[in-house]
Amino acid sequence: MKKAIRQMLALTLTAATTLGLAGCGGSSAPAAETKSVVVGSKDFTENEIIAEIYALALEDAGFKVDRKMNIAGSVVHTSITSNEIDIYPEYTGTGLITILGMDAMTDQDEVYRTVKDAYNEQFDITWLDYAEANDGQGLFISKKASDEYGITNISQLQANADKLRFCSQGEFDEREDGIPGLTKLYGEFNWKSSRIYDNGLKWEVIENDEADCAPAYTTEARLTETDKFVLLEDDKGMWPPYNLAPIVRNEVLKQYPEIEEILNSVSATLDTETVTQLNAKVDIEGEEYEDVAAEYFESIKD
Amino acid sequence: MIADIANYISTHSAQLATQITAHIGISLFALIVATAIGVPCGYLASKSSRSEVIVTAPFEMLRVVPSLAFLIILIPIMGTGILPAVTALTILAIPPVLLNTSVGFRSIPDFMVESARGIGMTERELLYKVRIPGALPMMLAGIRTALVEVIASTTLAAKIGGGGLGEIIFTGLGLNRTDLLVLGGLLVAALSLLSGVIFDAVTRKLLRYKYV
Repeated sequence: MKKAIRQMLALTLTAATTLGLAGCGGSSAPAAETKSVVVGSKDFTENEIIAEIYALALEDAGFKVDRKMNIAGSVVHTSITSNEIDIYPEYTGTGLITILGMDAMTDQDEVYRTVKDAYNEQFDITWLDYAEANDGQGLFISKKASDEYGITNISQLQANADKLRFCSQGEFDEREDGIPGLTKLYGEFNWKSSRIYDNGLKWEVIENDEADCAPAYTTEARLTETDKFVLLEDDKGMWPPYNLAPIVRNEVLKQYPEIEEILNSVSATLDTETVTQLNAKVDIEGEEYEDVAAEYFESIKD
Repeated sequence: MIADIANYISTHSAQLATQITAHIGISLFALIVATAIGVPCGYLASKSSRSEVIVTAPFEMLRVVPSLAFLIILIPIMGTGILPAVTALTILAIPPVLLNTSVGFRSIPDFMVESARGIGMTERELLYKVRIPGALPMMLAGIRTALVEVIASTTLAAKIGGGGLGEIIFTGLGLNRTDLLVLGGLLVAALSLLSGVIFDAVTRKLLRYKYV
């Protein structure tokens, strides 16, 4: 409820500011003495936390930060190209496949360099350093099955598939970067059984020993419960990396070049485990993302 | 799109067969349980207006909860899979069976009961020879309504690992693939129509006297 109200408020505010800007004919030149930027985020927990950390780091460096959180994933790119926001956390894989429409590649550096060049050229936007944190596609199995059959990566999973019960939300079985792609790279998965459940139920289903293996995103909060779930290593490099990185409009970066160093030092601290834990604090323990971000920023400040 | 559907059918035929079988299985199971509960309860409800309230109210109240919500509520109690799916569908199917049965028993004219008593029938004979045959058409109509509703709603079983044709529909939703949505929808509709036709044939056989 609280969240719904906040979302509505955010939407109203965004709409109001947009209208306001339009009314001024977009001629709101920043005042000379105050350094001001607009930080945006997509509409899910992880992206909001990271954006808030960026905002705090910039405020700490004397910037006045305007926050436009919770923008739908499908419009956030339009928001930055139409100058409504200056900075938001994006994923290298999303930039490559969804925004630029290129083919998937699996090397993180290669993906990063490709999107960095293309964004600079096409959208006049800079990708700052990427964090090690990778929010990509993954598979996990129950700790019990992992121990029993000694499975820690997908090759071992494929070899033992006939003893395991798979569950998915359905689309993973058909998607090119799901089972069909895995089959091409790792070989046939002869599951003992394969069932379809609602995506939100996968944790319960595996916890209750009604299935052993399911697809997940690699920073999903419940993966912090390592005594129950084991995220499998993609040892043959099936999925493109989805590294987190701040992207900034070149115009803003030229005006305030110090942004680069501030945000790069934040990214340097973010690995997959850290981000998963931050997600868990919000999604499992029910804290507010602003508080989690503030706490984290305090811990990395010096 | 027709080519996409044909292609999907040819590459997934084994999977489709298990989905259709599971769909029919879950639906029939739920319908049989619902009939087993609904018919006796309907008979009880027809006895007096007070018993009607007592018997009908709980099922009517349960029926108000959407089946999807029911499925999720049942997970902590029954886990996932076929059992909670059948339970939720049974609850969906009971009211039409129960209410129609009750109305069926009430609609038997008093003169019939009196004549039966007059020719010396025992209460037991009265039940089996007059009341049940008299209520049967309404009862069957109730079961038919429940059948069609259940077949459509069994789609939801796929949300909790119960299987059935819902798997195709939810996969289609996730992938935004119209061909899968159309295929799943058509198959469910076909099953529903087909079962209706079969049920009507059975009804005609049972109620032969009405059609001669």
